[in-house]
Amino acid sequence: MATFKSISSIFLVFLTFLNVAISLYEDQIGKFDWKQSYIGNIKFGSFDSVKRVVVATDENVIASLHLKNGQIAWRQILESPHGNQIELLHVDKEVITVSGGESGWYVRGWELNLGTILWEWTLYSDKSLKGYWVISKDQLIHLVPAVGSHLEITTYEVRTGRNNGKTLRISAPWITDLSKCVTAGIYWTCISGESSSAELHYIDLSSQLDKVYNLSVEKLIGNAPGKVTLRSLQYAEPDILLIRNGVGRYVRLQPELPKVFTYGLSPNVAVAPNGDQTLLIQLESSSENPENIQIHSVELEEGKENRIETDYVNKTGISHIITALCRGSACRVLFSAQDHSISLLQLPAGKVAWTREEALSHIVATEFLELPVSELDASIEHEFDSVSGDVFGTLYHRLTSQARQLSVLLTGQQSTSNTGLVRDEFGLHKLIIVATNVGKLFAIDTITGNVVWSRFFNNVESFSLLNKHGMLLFVQRTARYSPLIPQCVLLMKDKITGNGIMYTFDPITGESLQLERLSYQINQVMLLPYEDDEHLKGLLILSGDSQVHLYPSSSKSILLKHASTTFLYTANPKQGTLHGLSLAYSTPENIKAVPTWSLNLGQAELVAVGIRPINERVHSQGRVLADRSVLYKYVNPNLLAIATIKDDSIHKHVLNIYLVDGVTGLIVYSTVHKRADKPVHLVHSENWLVYSYYNERFRRIELGAIELYEGSVQSNSTAFSSHAVSQLPHAEAQAYIFPGTPLAMQATITERGITNKHILVGLSNGAVTEIPWAFLEPRGNQGILNPEEGYIPYIPELPLPSEATINYNQSLARIRGLQVAPARLESTCLVLVHGLDVYYTRVTPSKTFDLLKEDFDHWLIAIVLIGLTVASYVTKRLASRKALKQAWK
Amino acid sequence: MLMKGYCLCLLLQFGRIFGGNIEYDGWANINLQHALIASENPVFTERGNVTIQSLQTGLSTVYQKPLSQTDRVKLRDLAANNEFYQLKSIVTASDGSESVFISSVKACMLAESDLNDILSVSLDYSGKVVTVTLAVASTATCEGAVVPIDKLKEFSTSVYVRHPENGPVPDTITYTQKLEKQAKEKGEVKDNRSFLAKYWMYIVPVVIIMVLSSAANPDGAATGNNAAR
Repeated sequence: MATFKSISSIFLVFLTFLNVAISLYEDQIGKFDWKQSYIGNIKFGSFDSVKRVVVATDENVIASLHLKNGQIAWRQILESPHGNQIELLHVDKEVITVSGGESGWYVRGWELNLGTILWEWTLYSDKSLKGYWVISKDQLIHLVPAVGSHLEITTYEVRTGRNNGKTLRISAPWITDLSKCVTAGIYWTCISGESSSAELHYIDLSSQLDKVYNLSVEKLIGNAPGKVTLRSLQYAEPDILLIRNGVGRYVRLQPELPKVFTYGLSPNVAVAPNGDQTLLIQLESSSENPENIQIHSVELEEGKENRIETDYVNKTGISHIITALCRGSACRVLFSAQDHSISLLQLPAGKVAWTREEALSHIVATEFLELPVSELDASIEHEFDSVSGDVFGTLYHRLTSQARQLSVLLTGQQSTSNTGLVRDEFGLHKLIIVATNVGKLFAIDTITGNVVWSRFFNNVESFSLLNKHGMLLFVQRTARYSPLIPQCVLLMKDKITGNGIMYTFDPITGESLQLERLSYQINQVMLLPYEDDEHLKGLLILSGDSQVHLYPSSSKSILLKHASTTFLYTANPKQGTLHGLSLAYSTPENIKAVPTWSLNLGQAELVAVGIRPINERVHSQGRVLADRSVLYKYVNPNLLAIATIKDDSIHKHVLNIYLVDGVTGLIVYSTVHKRADKPVHLVHSENWLVYSYYNERFRRIELGAIELYEGSVQSNSTAFSSHAVSQLPHAEAQAYIFPGTPLAMQATITERGITNKHILVGLSNGAVTEIPWAFLEPRGNQGILNPEEGYIPYIPELPLPSEATINYNQSLARIRGLQVAPARLESTCLVLVHGLDVYYTRVTPSKTFDLLKEDFDHWLIAIVLIGLTVASYVTKRLASRKALKQAWK
Repeated sequence: MLMKGYCLCLLLQFGRIFGGNIEYDGWANINLQHALIASENPVFTERGNVTIQSLQTGLSTVYQKPLSQTDRVKLRDLAANNEFYQLKSIVTASDGSESVFISSVKACMLAESDLNDILSVSLDYSGKVVTVTLAVASTATCEGAVVPIDKLKEFSTSVYVRHPENGPVPDTITYTQKLEKQAKEKGEVKDNRSFLAKYWMYIVPVVIIMVLSSAANPDGAATGNNAAR
């Protein structure tokens, strides 16, 4: 019996594995999913040949882009961009980069065509001072200036890192401000002093001599009032730009006396080498239309000017030229705009060859949006929402609407369907609204992955939400209420004042409805759960000084109706406090949020807050046990999950998990993990919570799962009330070893909650894996002693089979977040994974039980059915004939 | 008055969390103040004192004065108007630090339960009070209720000191034991004896035969050696 039991349990394990194995067939690759790779905002760029451009970005990524279409030829992701940055990009026969920061510097060589690493060495500098790097003839020169005293120059052999052990120290009391110092070719140069007495100092780094050239700026560009600044041209020749009053002068550094070119240039200029001669390229807005950009090129030696009109439209402020290259009369200019988009301009045609939207490399808010129904469907829907009760009115309404439907059908006039943005039968076609860290808003089509519309906001930034960047995006009205347009609202932070910015827009067309700069800072935002007559949900904003603001103000009357049952909470991570606020004391004149409960977490750092998804439905109210009794789930819609980390002298770090009722402030359950540290990720869904943490004792990532049950009786079965605390829930908890490093976690969500729940985990190795909740479900003692149907025995280390990876071999770099949305098909859940890459797919946790298989043979079944029907008639006929014949006998 | 569960039938779960796992024992004094007129800026009046002698065991003493006639009327009105009864708890810990917490319950629920309420004192792992919450044991909420004034005499408060539970750890020991047991049942007991100990019965005869054959035929071996030379 025992063996049978163990065999059956092993069999069950295999069964569940089979269940997990929902991976794709080879021909399904790219059918439901798409991936877009990004690199980040460009810092350096250099053309390697006429076919590609090598770029380095502030995401600590180097990549090679095809000049033809802007696609990534290869991409190498270096260390985390926090504290590590690329400082030097040198493209020659191979690509040489210097990257790093506080912990040390990595000098690497990369193969030009494939991007494979050729060699690497590290340099540990004990000084956290800003350094400058220059490459000259297989020598890497590292220069460390000390403000006001001296500078140190060390030379290394670039491929091996060998140096002659000598460090050249040059006395340099003239270094006052490192922002006034640049490298230019093999020179390092600084400006010291104010406008009239300003002096230019420069050193030839390759000479190994401590000779410093000093020159008065007046001597070079004459005397005039105004501050002089310096700009490096990122060019092999020792050239700089001296800028005064917005006019730049091109200066070529030489020993003793530098050569100054006489004409004035704009500060935004790039050097394009073109065989023997050199071309200077500048961007200028054209005189007739300031939004249109003109290219203004100057030949360096002769100063001959040339202006070319381009078709590039600049909507986002100043664009910045990264690099340019000319071959004869044909030039290519790579530039980046304020919205982090990269474009390649082809001269002399003046055409933009391609644009990459690098803003999408850092997404801070996402929302899935259902599309509106087609006009025909909408008119059919309207046929039935007639309000007038009398017979003739209804008849008239029906006739007119049917006539309209007929005309739509005959003429094929469907304005919305022209754009293709029409709701499909299964709700798989949606629009993803995405807000990015730089302040650009996008709408992305889920089927194609194309950007439908975008909008850029200048001088905005994201909020800092528990050590993460975030903006707040809400859907105030969905596309369900057809003549009324859908409406979304995005809340951002003003970069200068720190106040909130509220932008309301139509998410389908991208049409702006209102852009309001608020006069206060935002503390907490809540989308009210009540709709007004126009199906619009109001937005409640709690300002920094605890004032309540409502948008639109017409939602006030609805809010006042529900004021006594509307609660919100605020968390202050710095002080470690949480407050619950009630709107019960509001008056029609003044909406007030009054504290009703408080929580003091002490010196602990608040690391994560988890709330249940608002649109989540819990289908099954309980769990059927082996003895056929039901264990009811504790489904509290007001439950908050909070994770804190506290420094401790004995246990190093202590992780606390609190489950708090958001209405009364009652701690429903709390648990503590000693010697557990960040990163902590929380997933809170239905009656359970899954969290990941780092176990400092065993040095591994662990996953904890908590499940709450009311017991065998359901206390408030009709409507849940947080005030009626008859019984605290009974919690089951279990922990697992997780053989991976999670970067983001999310639970799947489906329309009606019938489908099983899976937990999607974005891992540091670029995989997004699916773990069935049944694997994590803590069963407690009862489950072990008396296992129920489909019971999965406890395994301490969670298996991560490769079939459970939803993004198969498409690794995703630096996953930041996961967003899920239900499709209208119960089995299907839509998933967007974002980080450096953006990936969209759909998952079916219980397989596609409500869909016919793709290879379902409709013809065969039709033929069989027809055949059977025909055969039955034929045999009936034959049988009757036979019976007749027999009767005659 | 010592704490003893008043609604034991309903509150078994509150009691279950007993048995502390905090490392240092301490005491705490909670001064309770309440507001009997609903307002956004409530005026708190004295309600009583709770002394928790030992945070470890949760042993506590509650001292609360009976309500005065005016307070009873106020409380009845509060309940009739379906307002919130607000409580402020000033916690003085054994290290002398003071922290203030607020909490609210529906006044009608409090009145309907004849002023039987629960004070939940939640601690963190080090024994610091995280929050003090007032609750009423009930299965349903009310929307305002008129309660006879003679029922609103005195609070009978049950104090529950609640510790965090120790977090679960991955149970590797039972699992490996289970695997070993399963392996034993299948008869796959791993043999840890050395190679010689295991196979001596085969090795010894082979050695003996070799020794015997070489002893019986020394010439052959010698000639063989010569031939090799």
